[in-house]
Amino acid sequence: MDSDREHRGGRVPLPGFGESDPAHPVGQAAASGRRDGIRHARRVSNWTAAALIVGAGAATVALAHQAIPAAAPAAATITGTGATAGATGPQAIHSVATTSGSGVTVTTTTRTVNGKTIVTQIRHVPAYQDN
Amino acid sequence: MTTTSAPQLAGAAAWRPVTTGDDAIAVAERPALGTSARVAVWPPEHAGRACAAVDEVLAALDRQASRFRRDSELCWLHRAGGGLFMLSDGLAEAVGVALAAARWTGGRADPTVGDALISLGYDRDFAAIDQLRRDPPGAPVPAPGWQLVELDGLMLRLPAGVRLDLGATAKALGSDRAVRAVMSASAQAGGALVSLGGDIAVAGTPPRDGWPVTVADGPDPAVSPRAQLVRLPCGGVATSSVTCRRWRRAGQTLHHIVDPRTGLPADGPWRMVSAVAATCADANAATTAAIAAGHEAEGWLATAGLPARLVARGGAVRYLGGWPADDGATLPVPAGSHVYGGPGRLGGWR
Repeated sequence: MDSDREHRGGRVPLPGFGESDPAHPVGQAAASGRRDGIRHARRVSNWTAAALIVGAGAATVALAHQAIPAAAPAAATITGTGATAGATGPQAIHSVATTSGSGVTVTTTTRTVNGKTIVTQIRHVPAYQDN
Repeated sequence: MTTTSAPQLAGAAAWRPVTTGDDAIAVAERPALGTSARVAVWPPEHAGRACAAVDEVLAALDRQASRFRRDSELCWLHRAGGGLFMLSDGLAEAVGVALAAARWTGGRADPTVGDALISLGYDRDFAAIDQLRRDPPGAPVPAPGWQLVELDGLMLRLPAGVRLDLGATAKALGSDRAVRAVMSASAQAGGALVSLGGDIAVAGTPPRDGWPVTVADGPDPAVSPRAQLVRLPCGGVATSSVTCRRWRRAGQTLHHIVDPRTGLPADGPWRMVSAVAATCADANAATTAAIAAGHEAEGWLATAGLPARLVARGGAVRYLGGWPADDGATLPVPAGSHVYGGPGRLGGWR
C-alpha cells in the first residue's frame, strides 16, 4: 500500500500520454495525434458551449413570451404637455371615452348633417353594476 | 370601422361601433362586468382582433373576481369559509393588486370591506337591489383589515369571516390587462385605449398629444358644465364618485364607497375624484382612497404625488399635483406603479 502511495505521489503519465521522444518516430506520431485530438476536442467543446448558450437564450426568450406578465406596463414619465410619444400617432380631436363615476359610460357620437356637426351624448345605464 | 369582424365568445355581448368623428381611430363598445367596455384603437384595421382580445380578458376576470357570480373563484373562496387556498394566476394577481393598493393607501382602499357592503345592502347585482326598501340597513361592519389576509405567490390564507371586495382595483386591473392584450394581439403596432366603466388604460403609441378623454363631473357630461377634455398619453386615468351606485334603505341614501374604518359610506367633502397614474389600477386605488379619506384626501394625494381633479359636493373643482385646469391639455403621467410587482418586490403581502 505504501509503495502505491509513493508511486502516485509523482507525475505519472497515462499510457500513451507520456512525454514523447522527438527523436523517436513513433513518439512523434503519437504527439501529433494527441495534438490533433486535443484540437478536435476543443473545437467540439467550443461548438457545444456555443450551442448551449444559444439554446438557453432562445428558451429564455420563448418562456418569457409565454409567461403571464406580472409587472405593470412600463409608463414613460411625461410631464407638462410634452407628449413626445404621440409624435407618430394620428390626430384625434374628439373624445373617445369618458371617465366619470364608476359604472357610468357616455357614448359621444358626431355626425355631419347638411354641413353642420351634430354631437350627441348618450348615457348608458347598465343592467347591473358590480363595483 | 370594422368591429363586426370581431369574434364573439359565448355569452359575450356584441360590440357595436361608435362614431367619434375621427376616422383614424376605431371605437367600439359593449356591456361588460355590469357596466360598459369601450375599446379604441389605431390603425382602425386592428379593431376586430382588439375586441376579441378584450373579450378574453373580461371573461377571465369575471370568472376570477366577480362577487356576484356564484361560479366565480372568489365566491368559491367565500363559500369555503376561510382557510388556505391555491389561487389561479389571475385571481392571485387581482388579490395581490388589491392588497398592495391597501398597503399603499394606508388602508383607505381596503379589500376586506365585503361584509360592510353586504350589511349596507349591496349584496347582489346593483340593478337587483330594491331601491326603496323600508327596513334599515344592518349595523355597520368596519373592515377587519387587509393585514389579516396573507398572499404568498399563489397561496392565499383568508381568515374565516373575512369577505373580499375587489371593486377598488379589479375593474381597473381589467383595463390594464385588456390594453396589454390588445397591443399583444396587434403585434405592438399602433395604439390602444380600453375603458371599463370609465377606468381607462392606454398603451402603445397614442394619438398626437394623447388620447382625448372626457372627465365628467356628474353622471351625464352632456349637462355638466364642468366636464373637461384632457389628453392621456400613457398610463391610466380613473374616477371615483359618490353620485352613482346609490340606493336607499329606510329613507337613508347609501353609496358603494365604504370608509373601511367605520363600515359606512364615505361622507367626505368630495363627491368625485379623478386621478392619473402609471397604470389604471394605481389611478383607481388612489381615487377610491381619496373619497374614503374625506378631509385627508388632498394631503394623501399630495403625498402620493398623483395629479388629481377633485369636485366638492358644492361643485367647486380643485386641481392637484399638476392636473391641468385647461381644456384639452395633456395630463402629466407619473412613472412607476405602487400596486403591481407582486410579492417578490415587497417581500410578500403579509
